[in-house]
Amino acid sequence: MNPNLLHQLYNLSPVALVGIAIFIFLRARQTPLWGEAFRRLARNPSARTAMAVIGIYATIGLADSVGWYDAATQERRTVIDAIFERKPERTYSAPLAEMTTGEAKPQKIREKHILGTDSIGADVFYRTLKGVRTAFQIGGMTVLIVTPLALLLGLTAGYYGKWRDDVITYIYTVLSSVPGILLQIAMVLVLGKGIIQICLALGITRWVGLCRMVRGETIKHREREYVRSAKALGVTDMVILVRHILPNLLPVVIISTTLGFSNLVLSEAILSYLGVGVPDNVGSWGNMIDAARDELARDPVIWWNLTAATGAITGLALSLNLFGDALRDAVDPRLRS
Amino acid sequence: MLRFVLRRLLQAIPTLLGVLTLTWFLFFGTASAESIARRNLSSKDPTPAQVQGWIKEHGYDQPPVVQLRKATVDMLMFKFGKSDATKEDIWERIRQGAGPSIMVSSTIFIGTVLGAVLVAVLAAAFRGTYIDKTTTILCVIMMSVVYTVYVIGGQYFLSKQLRYGPIWGFDPASGLFKYILVPSAIGFAAGIATEIRLYRTFLLDEISQDYVRTARAKGVSETRILAQHVLKNALIPIITNTVAVIPGLILGGLLLENFFGIPGLGSYLFEALGSNDFSVVRAMVFLGTLLYIFGLIMTDIAYAIVDPRVRID
Amino acid sequence: MTLRIKVPVAITALAAAMAISNIGCTNNPYPAGESKRNVHYLNFGEDPKSLDPTFSFTTVESNVLDVITPSYFRYHYLQQNPVRLVLNLGTKEPTRTRTPDGGEVWTFTVRKDLRFSNDVCFPESKGRAITAADFIYSWKRMADPKIGYPLTGVFEDNVIGWKEYAAAFNLDRKGMADPNYDKPFPGVTADPNDPYTFSIHLKRPYPQLRFIMAMHHTTPQAREAVEHYNDEYARHPVGCGAYKLTSYTPKQRLVLERNENAPSDIYPTEGDPGDREAGLLDDAGKQLPLTDTLVFDMVRESTSSWNLFLQGYLDETTLNANNFQQAMASNGMLSPQMQEMGIRLRRAQQSAVYYVSFNMKDPLWGGYTPEKRKLRQAISLVLDSQEFIDLALQGNGTPAQWMLPAGLFGYDNEFKHPYRTVDVERAKKLIADAGYPGGKDPKTGERLVMNIDCAAITAAARTQYGILKRQIERVGVKVEIRSTPGSIFRDKLIKGSHQSILYGWFADYPDPENFVFLLYGLNSGPGKPNYAYYENPEYDKLFEKVRDMDDSPERLTLLNQMRDMAIEDSAWIPFYHPEVVTMSHAWVANTKVHPIARDVLLYRKIDNNLRAQKQAEWNKPVWWPLFAFAGIALAGIIPGVIVVKRRVNRKLRAGGGAS
Repeated sequence: MNPNLLHQLYNLSPVALVGIAIFIFLRARQTPLWGEAFRRLARNPSARTAMAVIGIYATIGLADSVGWYDAATQERRTVIDAIFERKPERTYSAPLAEMTTGEAKPQKIREKHILGTDSIGADVFYRTLKGVRTAFQIGGMTVLIVTPLALLLGLTAGYYGKWRDDVITYIYTVLSSVPGILLQIAMVLVLGKGIIQICLALGITRWVGLCRMVRGETIKHREREYVRSAKALGVTDMVILVRHILPNLLPVVIISTTLGFSNLVLSEAILSYLGVGVPDNVGSWGNMIDAARDELARDPVIWWNLTAATGAITGLALSLNLFGDALRDAVDPRLRS
Repeated sequence: MLRFVLRRLLQAIPTLLGVLTLTWFLFFGTASAESIARRNLSSKDPTPAQVQGWIKEHGYDQPPVVQLRKATVDMLMFKFGKSDATKEDIWERIRQGAGPSIMVSSTIFIGTVLGAVLVAVLAAAFRGTYIDKTTTILCVIMMSVVYTVYVIGGQYFLSKQLRYGPIWGFDPASGLFKYILVPSAIGFAAGIATEIRLYRTFLLDEISQDYVRTARAKGVSETRILAQHVLKNALIPIITNTVAVIPGLILGGLLLENFFGIPGLGSYLFEALGSNDFSVVRAMVFLGTLLYIFGLIMTDIAYAIVDPRVRID
Repeated sequence: MTLRIKVPVAITALAAAMAISNIGCTNNPYPAGESKRNVHYLNFGEDPKSLDPTFSFTTVESNVLDVITPSYFRYHYLQQNPVRLVLNLGTKEPTRTRTPDGGEVWTFTVRKDLRFSNDVCFPESKGRAITAADFIYSWKRMADPKIGYPLTGVFEDNVIGWKEYAAAFNLDRKGMADPNYDKPFPGVTADPNDPYTFSIHLKRPYPQLRFIMAMHHTTPQAREAVEHYNDEYARHPVGCGAYKLTSYTPKQRLVLERNENAPSDIYPTEGDPGDREAGLLDDAGKQLPLTDTLVFDMVRESTSSWNLFLQGYLDETTLNANNFQQAMASNGMLSPQMQEMGIRLRRAQQSAVYYVSFNMKDPLWGGYTPEKRKLRQAISLVLDSQEFIDLALQGNGTPAQWMLPAGLFGYDNEFKHPYRTVDVERAKKLIADAGYPGGKDPKTGERLVMNIDCAAITAAARTQYGILKRQIERVGVKVEIRSTPGSIFRDKLIKGSHQSILYGWFADYPDPENFVFLLYGLNSGPGKPNYAYYENPEYDKLFEKVRDMDDSPERLTLLNQMRDMAIEDSAWIPFYHPEVVTMSHAWVANTKVHPIARDVLLYRKIDNNLRAQKQAEWNKPVWWPLFAFAGIALAGIIPGVIVVKRRVNRKLRAGGGAS
């Protein structure tokens, strides 16, 4: 396959993700369970705010995925680059400052920077925006890797039981016994640095939790009346799994995924500290926070990098958490007080 | 009971084998024995003879199956051997490091569990009021902050600006409390939000049960219901959720140990990874697995003790 | 009811417990009372891998070892212009005699008053007297291949019988016998008439042997200690230096105490101009060491160590490229606040050089044709050392005109590298002449790619490589930074699969041979430092002459010829000479920095009282935020309690019912 084509596909994957999400949403709205849930959500003010914020982030991420090849710099340029990229200054400068800071003879700044500049003079606001896409990619691709895998294996283990269950349980017990850090570091060392590799590394450690839950729920449902009767009526296993059990699992899976998404975004930052984060030429909040460790100890203190990155991560994670909670409350009838 | 535990331990052996195999692949899949030897031999570059000598001495020239067999037998007898990088006795280091790790992580653990139960009960008692809503929002916000920011910010404010405890160091002889104070406070703050929300969910689950409605109808006071019935029943999922992590406390928290200079096992593992020290990594992974399995066993036992409906077969 | 009682009781109990154990709460990380003694607190950022004097090679380890295991020579502490060797354990300058077959014999005579420190490995734990035999034993250990002496390559072809002796060791081990250190070593012999004299027999003259005898590898070692401690010897060296190692918790803390058996040693009585005014001769003539105990803390995070220093719990801290930015104010000077605290800053140029080198084996950037030369020269012309030093190193460095740092024979203050004065226009012209106008390949229209390989990027490295990239791209070329984990990076260097690197070389000893050998053809390959894989037969011929010469005008001429040759090829571009900067508190005296010596801790003096006073002053806990926090929390809860009580009362009055 043409490597250029692969590259283009990879770049457009966030667009694809968003497309899939919208499609699922529209289809789900038609079902009674989800339609009711969405209506309830729409009435919840904090959920509305959370969704709006997520929407803003998603738009930024999308804008950063649409790009073209710029012959002058021989690099890819996206919409975000076109609007927000600034010429670099010499070095650090505080938000909206006139002069550089952190060097012997401060120089005058060429343009205004809302959030200041970092150690090589890049605009911090721009860098923060570039981190959005990475966060969504990590969250999104890991989810894309983890969910089908966990569903497949969890359903198989829970429904068929016996040796299949034993094998799958064995695999995930082994995987969850190895300290997560070791797995992640080792996988990045084996596969090299890159977003996909990090997603694989994060995915490997995460799918266990989801798989276990799916397996547990499947076992519960396996014994239910409707499944037993379906079996008695001669319905094939495949149909039972897909048409009956799977939809019952979806609420749990979707809520766990939404909450897990925010955990993944947070994990990226920790991976940077461990030295196996996203490569440096890709925007990343984790790298910004990692660099900030030393910056706080400087004189004068350089605080804007850390603040910007933390603000961005917290904003996204908070919104995802609020949205996930509201979704869970909306879908689960018992939790209304 | 004893038979149950023994059986589970026996069942654990294939898991341990799997873990050791996986660790071996992760290690030698990423770096050849030569590069590991070179790394550990000298800061300057060693001769090929020295490299081969090192490999032979550590047994990495044997075929993988032989290595695995030897490793499994050794590990099961807790003969961890010596570190590749520093030639220290690994078991000694683990024993020395376990203490500090346990001290910090168990303080965090106890504090978090007690604190979370307390706040969750309050939130459940005052559910629907602004107390509950504020708690929820605060918890979600706290859960959305990156852990490294907690550590960095916590050290900056608590140790540096406010000077409540040493920035670094660990000397139990001169007052354990001051060394544990700040790291525990940070670990507590970082982890409590998730626990509060979890316990609150358990409590609310219980409150919505039929027997609560019956009790209320019969005129039992809210406080009594909460304290005597709901809490006790909610303890089942609470305990089973928390017991699993207890064995893991020995491994400690890597970030806190690094920043605060606590000579625990978390940073030991991390350094071993950084210096490609296979024998240490293997020993620590083995230990971690063993502890994890203990945790699973303890969860099952705790479940059986706390919930009269469950019996251990 | 029970809940309402239980909770406040629990809280009070907890508070009481905290208050009780809080008595005497300070943020002093050290054991109680320790910092009131005559102790000097330092940190190392990375754990010493091994303190076996024969094996150890890093700076961190040398800082500890050189005061425990001294050698025949050492560097004069104060006189640094140029640096010079003075006798330490030796009684006189060694004699050098030529042998008829072109070899050389050096004869060393050591002091008679040397004793090892008291240690359990000796009978009755008393350190015994040292003779030449202990020096010879040390050389035998250097030849032992299992131990891994880093400079084996230098000696195995030069010292008579080294290779055979080493091979014999290997034979011994294969036969599972203990290596036989009793066998005589033809290369290093004892004098039958004088137990304090020994000789080293070389096949070729090697003037730099003097410097080797200043490194801790050649310290006298006690066979009892090696055999007693075995694998633990790497954590328990035993020597005759001013200090002995009394406790070592790996990765945590290392303590050195005064060695009661140390030979008499006094503080230098002469120094460089300016030393007297700086107070560096106030302790002239006093018995060394001036401090009883040295404590090294292993503080892994640089933020933590920096903050510890600011709180006064670390007496001094040495900065390097990774933490320059933290320590100093932007202009490379101390901030007013730090000056007020009495902190002092001292700096010196290190015997080191950082360079950018291309891999001559690379198809694009390597090669000896005129076009490739121009290509590399173009890059050389756009590298701006001064900007790099200002932005990435807080001004702590000097642009390098060639390899040799100041203070070395062969260093020329007036010399200007023809391609190191920044000239972007000329660079663009050169690169066009090389066949790549605008930095683009005319055949494909794409910019040339220059890959800079490096190990994993830290925050400081990101700044450095970012600046480098910015500078180089001015000439039109595209720069890619290929960062890989450290072990993979080292593999690349060894295999020669890298394209270009920014790397540093720190002198083992202050002789130009130790620098110019970086471009010696036979030094390229696994385990050798010629990472440019530069192979120039003319250069090599000159090198082989220069290597064995003593300092003289002829040597200088040859060195300059080698320099001019290498400059035209521009495979190796000198970038900057780093500085070592030490910051110390007001209560630490004698903190002059030395470019190459590592035993400088001998001279430190601590004023305990001043330190105790300052520590107390700077570290009073701030209590008000805690009270404020508690106050707010309480204030938040009370209205809620009132509301719920009202709600419950209302329900009771209404006669119960569902909530």
